[in-house]
Amino acid sequence: MSSSADGTTASLYVPVDCEIIAVSDLTPHEKLFRLRLKNGAPLGHLPGQFVQVSLLGWEEAPISVASSPTRTDYFEMGIRRTGSLTSAMHELTAGDLIGVRGPFGRPFELPKLRGHDLLLISGGCGLAPLRSLIHYCEDRPEEFGALTILYGAKSPGDVLFKDDFALWETSARFACSRTVDQVPEGDCYSGGVGLITSLIPPLEIDPHRTVAVLVGPPVMYRAVIAELKKKGLSSDRIVVSLERHMRCGVGKCGHCTIEHLYCCQDGPVFWLNEIEHLRGAL
Amino acid sequence: MKYLSNEQIPDFFSSLQATHEVRLPIMLPDGTRCLGHPGDGTVALFGGALPAKPTAAFFPHEGPVFVAASEGFTEPSAPEKPLLVVGFTSRDLACLRFIDRFFAEGWRDDIYFRNRQGALVVGVSGYCGPGGASLALADGDCDFELVWDRTRWLVVSHTGAGSAIVEGLAETVSDGTLERLRKEMAVYEDENEKAIRRASELIRADRVPDTFWSEIGDRCIACTGCNLACPTCTCFGVQDWRYAGRVKRSRMWDSCQLDGFMREASGHNPLGTEGLRTRRRIHHKLAADPDRWGEISCFVCGRCDAVCPTGIGIFAVARELIERFGNI
Amino acid sequence: MKRTLTVCPYCGTGCMFYLVSDSGRLIGVEPSTTHPVSRGGLCVKGWNAFGFVHHPDRLTTPLIRRDGKLHPASWDEALGLVAERLREIQERHGADSLMFASSAKATNEENYLLMKLARGVFGTNNIDHCARLCHSSTVTGLAETFGSGAMTNSIDCFDNTDLILIIGSNTTEQHPLIGSRILKAARRGTKLIVADNRLIRLARHADLHLRHNNGSDVALLNAMMQVIIAEGLEDREFIAARCENFEAFAASIADWTPERAAPLTGLQPGEIVAAARLFAGAKRAMIVYSMGITQHSHGVDNVRCCAALAMLTGNVGRPGTGVNPLRGQNNVQGGCDMGALPDVFSGYQKVSDPMVREKFTRAWGVDALPSTPGLPLTRAMDAAAEGKLHGMFFMGENPILSDPDQGHARHALKNLDFLVVQDIFLTETAALADVVLPAACYAEKEGTFTNTERRIQRVRKGVEPPGEAKADWEIICALAKQAGCDKMHYPDPSAVMDEIASVTPIYGGISYDRLDPLGLQWPCPDRDHPGTPILHIGRFNRGKGRFSPVIYRSPAELPDEEFPFVLTTGRTYFHWHTGTMTRRTHLLDREERRSFIEINPDDAARLGVRERDDVLIASRRGSVRAQARITGIVIPGVVFMPFHFTEGAANALTNNVLDPESSIPEFKVCAVQVRKAP
Repeated sequence: MSSSADGTTASLYVPVDCEIIAVSDLTPHEKLFRLRLKNGAPLGHLPGQFVQVSLLGWEEAPISVASSPTRTDYFEMGIRRTGSLTSAMHELTAGDLIGVRGPFGRPFELPKLRGHDLLLISGGCGLAPLRSLIHYCEDRPEEFGALTILYGAKSPGDVLFKDDFALWETSARFACSRTVDQVPEGDCYSGGVGLITSLIPPLEIDPHRTVAVLVGPPVMYRAVIAELKKKGLSSDRIVVSLERHMRCGVGKCGHCTIEHLYCCQDGPVFWLNEIEHLRGAL
Repeated sequence: MKYLSNEQIPDFFSSLQATHEVRLPIMLPDGTRCLGHPGDGTVALFGGALPAKPTAAFFPHEGPVFVAASEGFTEPSAPEKPLLVVGFTSRDLACLRFIDRFFAEGWRDDIYFRNRQGALVVGVSGYCGPGGASLALADGDCDFELVWDRTRWLVVSHTGAGSAIVEGLAETVSDGTLERLRKEMAVYEDENEKAIRRASELIRADRVPDTFWSEIGDRCIACTGCNLACPTCTCFGVQDWRYAGRVKRSRMWDSCQLDGFMREASGHNPLGTEGLRTRRRIHHKLAADPDRWGEISCFVCGRCDAVCPTGIGIFAVARELIERFGNI
Repeated sequence: MKRTLTVCPYCGTGCMFYLVSDSGRLIGVEPSTTHPVSRGGLCVKGWNAFGFVHHPDRLTTPLIRRDGKLHPASWDEALGLVAERLREIQERHGADSLMFASSAKATNEENYLLMKLARGVFGTNNIDHCARLCHSSTVTGLAETFGSGAMTNSIDCFDNTDLILIIGSNTTEQHPLIGSRILKAARRGTKLIVADNRLIRLARHADLHLRHNNGSDVALLNAMMQVIIAEGLEDREFIAARCENFEAFAASIADWTPERAAPLTGLQPGEIVAAARLFAGAKRAMIVYSMGITQHSHGVDNVRCCAALAMLTGNVGRPGTGVNPLRGQNNVQGGCDMGALPDVFSGYQKVSDPMVREKFTRAWGVDALPSTPGLPLTRAMDAAAEGKLHGMFFMGENPILSDPDQGHARHALKNLDFLVVQDIFLTETAALADVVLPAACYAEKEGTFTNTERRIQRVRKGVEPPGEAKADWEIICALAKQAGCDKMHYPDPSAVMDEIASVTPIYGGISYDRLDPLGLQWPCPDRDHPGTPILHIGRFNRGKGRFSPVIYRSPAELPDEEFPFVLTTGRTYFHWHTGTMTRRTHLLDREERRSFIEINPDDAARLGVRERDDVLIASRRGSVRAQARITGIVIPGVVFMPFHFTEGAANALTNNVLDPESSIPEFKVCAVQVRKAP
């Protein structure tokens, strides 16, 4: 909750000012925004949480934080141009102000992840929220066992965070694989081609030491979960982050419900066994 | 026990306007009853539940979130005088209790409580239903209650604030009328309530196939009236309007019966078919809310059935569902 | 908190609701629980009808074009300029070089006043409104056959009928509170025949769904009637007692066997026979139609066939029967009733009749009134394009999006010497105007609307108009004064209605004090008359009902190799016409933000188009981009597209070919090609 100038507590629904420090292109459709709260305070988030980005005149949209709280000078968000607000965001540059509310939502449960081997799997834009956890792991490697990153994108042009990936690939701490669904003719891409599910069978996994964390588009979950189950991973060892159109972020507006759950409050991060039996969750 | 004659009602509530923003049931020129100020029309306490949800006094169809200008954000102010809203039936009061809890839990919705905090809520019960039918006593959930015993309004206070308001009223002997009324009201078994409970059981036992929801969805014209009339429907959308030099953000009632309700910018839509949306409308009240809040969130007020142009309000759907799947 | 009982500004159903306002701002809508049409319900547009009223885009001041740009101006300046320029054109080129377009969105009083301004002040019969684009075929066709171009029965009749034939009306989307009555009737056992090749919601509940080819209605209806006569199912008693010209008519359709109609309609002969038997077998049968019948180059013929089918089976002049054209706009019935048409004064009194002219001349205190019928709106656009028309005045119409062949409409308006647009938002048309006059919307003024069942109902002011905007009736009166007419002066709209009643027999008994709370249905000739829920009881308005033989004509533009698809256009449930109001209403805008086409899965697969892909749609007149919705709602070979969206405007594609009698454009059929957008 924010505070207004006269010291009274401002409404839950009033955003706080946030300055854009830098903007960079991730793909032709995605940009990375580096931001800082105008009052200088850290955002105070945990990996997996999101904020409601507010552009006056464009309403709000839920955006996952793509950076780790271990890096306190700033926070980052990867934003794909899909609707009117995100298109307006893409017009902004360093120095511009936006509004944010949050952080909101249930983060990745670090206490339950610590000490485990982590299988960090993402597809498409899902790498942005997962990056907050990957960076956390990078900064606190001692907290975890083996760290494996799997990433799938539609095509080489859709691959996000190429620079990050290059670092993770060279890091001794991570085992990385990535793939693209298809390569357009004439593209000089040289990496793997195939669905992300193809990356799982070759892995050697100890199902009793491993936790898999999945973030991706709705179509990805079922297929990847099926592969993970073949590896002996049970539902209480699989974490998913669900994309819903959270509009208020605080469990009131009703747009993100999954049966009795409010994705913005009870999620977006869930253990698979909490939601796999719920209609429409996956 | 206090009481008011029916003739005293308008003056009594008018007199409260000095200290409260009073809204009470009035009769409009075409015979529609609604919440209005004393003096806006003839007081219309008789006739049962108001057609529009009385909870709208606290959470209106459209209301401001803030106005943003160069000097900062201006939030809507609380009403100058606390609201005093008359006309809640016991079922409406159960709805109000439910949404009070909903808006308070977790993040507290300050916009709702700006109107709700400090407001006085007045119930109506006794033989003041449609055509003199009986309305169950609330026996709580409000500050005070007007109970029509066919000759006068017994005034029963349930809170200190309620007692303070009715303090000056005439006293009547405690002749057991209230107890008698309570017993008389209790013998009526509400068929609709039974249907709602049974339908809830069937849905929660997974006895209702998807084809049923699609069939009901075929009869839905997506007017959204069921949601807008429902006192426990609280979903809202947000709208920004850009004026010269300022942006006004407001929120308005939304409806899960619209395709755009859950549709994401990518096109993905967890409620992407009429059948799923129809299921959501009923399932949410009869199965999801019991899971989350421990109670069915349809309090049998009947508004969605009254407002639905095609006859698929929750009672109608519950009855059809029981008829088809109740004896399998 | 204030509640104002008024009429919904969207479709012609005429639901009434209360506008809820607080401190001068609308905050919601509550349905009237006693209203005979809406009965406590509303559709999604009605529930959201308050949503655009305070929109920041509202026009708040008159605008005058200087150096190519629109600049704020005072009312005196703007109206002075309008009067001066219109007079100038009138003097230089003659009164008939001016055209006035009235509005089916405006009140009866406003339509009457604009009609009076055109005829009485500027001396031209060039006055028309968008009824030209929707039900002019009805007005012509039913006037000829029945003697009155309006819905014969009442909405209540849907509760008590045995069969409803819905042909060319997507009733649950376009007249939702009537559509829901039909849905409920079907649940109670009323038979439904839906003749429409789109799989509309009512078709899912129909006993018989005829997916006939676009524009083959005459073939279908003639063949149904041929079967009825061949099988002896007609109502001979009714025909003998009430109708004329039956023998000639019967002869004209004798060879319209189902086998002949089958290839034209794309139906099996058996389907046509089944429909004929089902229809003729009903004790009470209602025909419901809308734009699917009227918006054709043979729209009047389609209407004649509907009228003939009803007469043939004795389904006129009784409860639960009739020919029921559902009027599109909130006040398109009233716009016609008020004589915002080139050939009639209010109450369909012909301008060519000297007695009628004499009456209006006296009532209005003018020297003379023009006697030659003026130009229909569609013909006026052609005249403007040809340079034969010099000044146009549009009240609440947006022809750039609503008229056929957008390129043609744009050229026509740009070709004018002077264009005035009076509206509530700066529409695509207003953006081209020389003068823009800011109007109050429905929620900001007093007046009456007449719904599709001829029910005259009160419109009331809930809030003040924004800025300097004024009600249309006030603007028209002020303009009349600027133009030198001192006789158009009224204290309020009720005084206008009193004048209307005094010169309009069908409205003779209408007065504001009689309209509370539920309105009156015309004809209502005097103050003691209770109104007329059902027309033609015992006798047709014209005396005998006339069977008018019809010769089948195909649509003007059929698909060919280059343009292989039939494009049919219409509205969606969430938007209204050119989107000026609904696209500025949050929930409605959210539902549908983009222009789209419905395309059959087979066609989409052939074209390599996937759901939500962008496609390019081109006709001989233009090309637009829209999103593909792949759906079995449309049959292979047909695409449907709504005309609400300025980006992806369906009317950039449509064919400006007109029905020779009613001058209605053929919005429902033109040939297009579709391909995946690069």
